[in-house]
Amino acid sequence: MPEIYSLSSEHEVADFIKNCNSEEVPIEITGHNSKSIGRLIQCSKSLHLKNLSGIIEYFPEELYIKVKAGTPLALVEIELDKKNQELSFEPPDMGFLYTGQSNKGSVGGAVACNLSGSRRFRAGALRDHILGFRGINGKGEIVKSGGTVVKNVTGYDVSKLITGSYGTLVALTEIVLKVQPKNEESQTLLVNNINLKKALNIFSKSMQTSVEISGACFYPAKMSKFFKLNDLDTTTSITAIRLEGPKISVVERINTLKKLFDEYKKTISVLENYQSRIFWKNTTDLQFFNNSKNIVAKIILPPVNTDQFINKFENEELKYVIDWAGNLIWAEIPENDSVLLRQLRTEVTKLAGHMTIIKAPNHMRIKEDFLTTVDENIKVLSLKIKESFDPKKILNPGKMYSGI
Amino acid sequence: MPKIDQSVLNDKESIVRDLKKFTNSINIISDPEGITPYETDALSAYKQKPMAVVLPENTAEVSDILKYCHKNNIKVVPRGSGTGLSGGALPLADCVLLGLSKFNKILEIDFENRCVVTQPGVTNLSLTKAVEHNGFYYAPDPSSQIACSIGGNIAENSGGVHSLKYGTTTNNVLGVEIVLMDGTIMRFGGKKLESEGYDLLGLITGSEGLLGVLTEVTVKILKKPQSVKALLLGFQSVEDSGQCVSDIISGGIIPAGMEIMDKPLIKATDNYAKAGYPKDVEAILIVELDGTESEVNILIKRVEEIAKKNKSTYLRISKNDEERLRFWLGRKAAFPAIGDMSPDYLCMDGTIPRKKLAEVLKEITKLSQKHGLRVANCFHAGDGNLHPLIMFDSNVKSELKRAEKFGADILKYCVKVGGVLTGEHGVGIEKRDLMCEMFNDEDIQQQLNIKQAFDEKSLLNPGKVYPILHRCAEGGKMHVHKGDTKFKDIPRF
Repeated sequence: MPEIYSLSSEHEVADFIKNCNSEEVPIEITGHNSKSIGRLIQCSKSLHLKNLSGIIEYFPEELYIKVKAGTPLALVEIELDKKNQELSFEPPDMGFLYTGQSNKGSVGGAVACNLSGSRRFRAGALRDHILGFRGINGKGEIVKSGGTVVKNVTGYDVSKLITGSYGTLVALTEIVLKVQPKNEESQTLLVNNINLKKALNIFSKSMQTSVEISGACFYPAKMSKFFKLNDLDTTTSITAIRLEGPKISVVERINTLKKLFDEYKKTISVLENYQSRIFWKNTTDLQFFNNSKNIVAKIILPPVNTDQFINKFENEELKYVIDWAGNLIWAEIPENDSVLLRQLRTEVTKLAGHMTIIKAPNHMRIKEDFLTTVDENIKVLSLKIKESFDPKKILNPGKMYSGI
Repeated sequence: MPKIDQSVLNDKESIVRDLKKFTNSINIISDPEGITPYETDALSAYKQKPMAVVLPENTAEVSDILKYCHKNNIKVVPRGSGTGLSGGALPLADCVLLGLSKFNKILEIDFENRCVVTQPGVTNLSLTKAVEHNGFYYAPDPSSQIACSIGGNIAENSGGVHSLKYGTTTNNVLGVEIVLMDGTIMRFGGKKLESEGYDLLGLITGSEGLLGVLTEVTVKILKKPQSVKALLLGFQSVEDSGQCVSDIISGGIIPAGMEIMDKPLIKATDNYAKAGYPKDVEAILIVELDGTESEVNILIKRVEEIAKKNKSTYLRISKNDEERLRFWLGRKAAFPAIGDMSPDYLCMDGTIPRKKLAEVLKEITKLSQKHGLRVANCFHAGDGNLHPLIMFDSNVKSELKRAEKFGADILKYCVKVGGVLTGEHGVGIEKRDLMCEMFNDEDIQQQLNIKQAFDEKSLLNPGKVYPILHRCAEGGKMHVHKGDTKFKDIPRF
């Protein structure tokens, strides 16, 4: 077991890493330990940033919030809600997937994993909402980039590089996130009992209009049963499209879509505000794979290839839900089926996409790559970037790729 | 700037001969007259002829040229349309200038995946033109969009008036093909929404041509909103207009665009463009809203209420597109109008927290008195991007120096109130020596280390963005003499 260090100031974190650097001691960095993404790493020291917590400043009219990295995401959301604002990339609550219980983790953890919810295709990912950061690199130096303003070309956009770097470049200490007004109304148009191909076609057609949809997902029949919403037919497949904004506009746009998809009028229904919000929260939080004991993977493809990908695995033991208007497949496969896992990986590469393993048993996290990268040049460049922050490779070593 | 490598200059003839092996020989210009058009970008206060200009036609040629230059320690400066305002494409005497103007084709329009694959030399506006028959557009709209290239937009992370709602270039690019200085060809991103591993696409966007040369770009396209309307509001103080902007945002409204102009600028533009702005106000605010028709109508009403609450003394709502465009006409004429009022001007480009607008404008007025020079201000109020236009006469001894000092003082103040040195023009060479106002040695060294990962010999666009010696000096070099800018036909705002 590694020695655990819980530090509560940036200065302490910098000193700690500086010492580890001079002694060449690798460190595992964690926030709230709410996610188990990435390769399993073994370090003699574990640095917990849970105590580096608190909102530094929040200016609703400036549309940003600056927090210490260990601040609970849930706390941030409560504060934003008081001012009728939100993080529009809808950070998912991964706690349900890992433990069956809510645990949104820390802001730093969310940034390190760059996870975004169902609104991603419209509002952008977390990486589109980070304005600046402070953190400690592998030499124990405090480095910063960005600011609190949206428009900024002053130096490299290092905030983006940090986002999704799984703690391999810096231990984050401070983060500035863009915030947005909350949508007044949410409604969801549902089409029941159609196949994936038709659902994808509905997504595509909706996106060719000015209706501005902000959610589009597909549950095959066997996956729809977990819902317990009154207005939901859960015996067949569900194709869902979300509309948000002022109520009058949402109603008008729902009607436009109803007319557009008149051929499905017998199976069309609408989830009103309250149920619509629950539906998308459950979807974003991956509640369909609640406390899964299996391997869960996130597969991203150009949307036109999604149907082809799913068809290929029709007869396999694969459970899936489609989100992001066809750009994202959440897939679950049996925990020991490494053959199927490899087949998925091969196929996703052929179809110009990639796959990230989000949950897997520990033995698999040691030997399996959790990313798909096949391009050796990208790996070489990534290694050089890693070394530019952390020359002795002591921050979360091997978490992303072997050696990085 | 980096020291000139005399040995490279001495070898000029053999280098030009070698370069001819990698591309059609007519694509190489090395005679003094031929290279003159490349001696500056739109920051024409700086001029430097390169050793030679190469205009490759495909990715393989770019790779071969870079590989050759890397091997022979020859500096390379990439250039798109040359419309940049911070000297990012300024050549060095011993460099090969790599022009991407022949990369001018749109390769694929993919409505199904809602993206366009294009070569980097294609202009920003032609991307929208190519998809508008289907009701789509490319969101970032820098005012130079008629001439600036999409590759340059990525290098500078260009914005435009719509960036508060639709983001800047970085939020609208899906993928690139890029060639590193050693000739390695790579792809970051693609037609999908995300990539795995480090966000290399995010890093190279806004990197001002220091990390690699773009040879292909994939951008996201959006469906045009059903309805667009604008309000033209007048206020008796800049504070009131700034408060109105804050209240609009606090009220949960994100307009497509919001612009403030101060009195000197209203006067200048009205004389110049006859946009019909009110004359008895201290500031005007243009608010543009888009979405479905009913949504826009609701939002217009809400903005109207907020404006009244903030003591707006003038209010007009566009009845049609023609009127809406007229609201913008004066704003878009700001730069040429100032050019008419003063023999010379410097254009600054800081970003500040919106709530600091009144404070910053007060400070600018104070600085104007201190330096003895007039100034007019336009402000992308939605995203906090401020463009003070400092007026001076270069024929009067010391005025240029005073104007530059004034400009640097403004940018320093922007940083002091929590803003940044540049919102959309880039650091280039113009603001390079002010970087230490925002970053300390460790921050800058970290960024230089990232540069090393991409370009270990520092041969690609050296001398830009990062100060070689860490010292603060004067900034603000977009000097316009007698309205005579390079690319003067391009509207700037």
